[in-house]
Amino acid sequence: MAARSGLAGDRSKRYEKIEFLGEGQFATVYKARDVEDDNRIVAVKKIKLGHRSEAKDGVNRTALREIKLLQELKHENIIGLLDVFGHKSNISLVFDFMDTDLEVIIKDNSLVLKPGDVKAYMIMTLKGLEYLHTHWILHRDMKPNNLLIDTNGVLKIGDFGLAKFYGSPNRVYTHQVVTRWYRCPELLFGARIYGVGVDMWALGCILAELLLRLPFLPGESDLDQLTRIFQTLGTVTEEQWPGMTLLPDYIEFKKFPGTMLSDIFTAATDDLLELIAALLCINPMKRYTATQALKMEYFSKKPGPTVGRELPMPGVPAAVLKEQQHTRAATKRKQPDDSGRLAKKLVF
Amino acid sequence: MATLEKENPLFMSWHNSAWIPHLSRANIMDYFADRSNPFYDRTCNNEIIKMQRVNPEQLKTMTGLEYELLHVQEPILYVIRKQHRHSVEHTTPLANYYIIAGVVYQAPDLCSVLNSRMLTGLHHIESAFEEAQSFSRYSPSKGYWWEFKDKEQEQAEEKLKNKKKKEEAASSMFQRQRVDVLLLELARKFPPKVIQAKPGEKPIPVVSEHQNGTVSIKEEVKEEPGQQQQQQQQANSNSVTGAGTIGAPNAGAFFSGGMKPPMVKKRKLVK
Repeated sequence: MAARSGLAGDRSKRYEKIEFLGEGQFATVYKARDVEDDNRIVAVKKIKLGHRSEAKDGVNRTALREIKLLQELKHENIIGLLDVFGHKSNISLVFDFMDTDLEVIIKDNSLVLKPGDVKAYMIMTLKGLEYLHTHWILHRDMKPNNLLIDTNGVLKIGDFGLAKFYGSPNRVYTHQVVTRWYRCPELLFGARIYGVGVDMWALGCILAELLLRLPFLPGESDLDQLTRIFQTLGTVTEEQWPGMTLLPDYIEFKKFPGTMLSDIFTAATDDLLELIAALLCINPMKRYTATQALKMEYFSKKPGPTVGRELPMPGVPAAVLKEQQHTRAATKRKQPDDSGRLAKKLVF
Repeated sequence: MATLEKENPLFMSWHNSAWIPHLSRANIMDYFADRSNPFYDRTCNNEIIKMQRVNPEQLKTMTGLEYELLHVQEPILYVIRKQHRHSVEHTTPLANYYIIAGVVYQAPDLCSVLNSRMLTGLHHIESAFEEAQSFSRYSPSKGYWWEFKDKEQEQAEEKLKNKKKKEEAASSMFQRQRVDVLLLELARKFPPKVIQAKPGEKPIPVVSEHQNGTVSIKEEVKEEPGQQQQQQQQANSNSVTGAGTIGAPNAGAFFSGGMKPPMVKKRKLVK
């Protein structure tokens, strides 16, 4: 099953397996050495053969999405798909090797995220998202776990298993995307036509999580998720969000006044609070796009973003964490209600 | 003043009375970190640590603005330092804050202290000069000289006068007794006409009394309070109806100018 033995042709010999990193529902991931490229360290993701139903088209759908989209994308803040090769019914994807991800950093309590660090992460993520959105691609699964970070502190958006082209006026999409805690109100209300707002909302939640070091809106069900959103940000009216009541799964909510963002993010500067408010705007039409967000004052004011190498790195050996991470990540995506992960409640 | 206060932290103080009874070494930093405290910069490292719920020990590994509890003298005094941390060992103090009995003040820097003291000193010197100037006299023949005594005397005299006036107004015990004696004598020399007072026709006897020669002095006395007094007295005399008491209304009317007629009346009644 090792990369070397399981893969045929020249390609399989090109990547020398170093260690097993993790196993998920769709794939097994190995750390490997690219012997043809100066022994560069890469991650080889070997797609498992799915159920026959899933593999009707011949290849697992998520893998197909990743291959299809990533082959055309090239940006510093998007995970690079270096190579794809097949052997028998298996397909292997070769990615940049990433040391850790944002979730690991958020959860590592031995690290303090300084304002400059948060700004650096936000800039990198926004640049990646801006690139994706200008190429008419929605990521649809933005969460700290999918924001990968390499040894140089460069953040790359990864996992394009749910990514999709958007913008066709008549194409209908599923609303069952995005891990629940990062899912925006329009998706929770069952919107079938949506835009970049879904990624921007998720980014707002990620930003909040970077500041609080806890999931910002850890809903236990879709309904609970909406309740938490309105409890925290205040219930909106039809006037504030025209068309909200027409959404398929619209439910009327109790009037919550909402909490002041400055009371939640006590150490945040005013320009940072503006960014949070712009990303976590309940009305998707008014929510900022990546391009708009990057132009906000927060990014031009002091303190400057931390340079890559000075960004915090988890103290525990990255590989160990990565392994746990991948196993968990893969299962988590399919089952958002993963009981292994305790939902923490925010205490205000 | 309001704008000045806003600009200068040394002119400000802050407290939250809800906290004050519970202040201790353990919670003094939380008290200081209260949102409404104008001395607390909420973008400091302490607040970042608190917001991210990481170990407070981490504070020393961060760089930038932080607050540190410098000195504790429970339960009354706490000193907190605002400093910029460059590394684990190296910090630059920016300001000190002291909390006395729950009220937070910024400790002034040396420059402000000197400035303030010098300003106070100068102010006193200036007033001293002004005062001194008012005592200097000049005449072409004599030249300059100081003139303290006259003024002092004048002041003393003025004071005396004031005192006298006050005394007059209040009337001393001695005066009252003395006047009582005189009045008694007067009353003996010129015994008042005995008029039987009848209920119903009050004003008549007193008015007639007034017109009597005995009371010509009365006219000098202030009228308004006198009249009031009279009426009161009339009511009294009406109810009492006794020859001995008749003198009382007179006396009352006589003393009404700022003295205390009730006292006098009582005296009379006792006699």
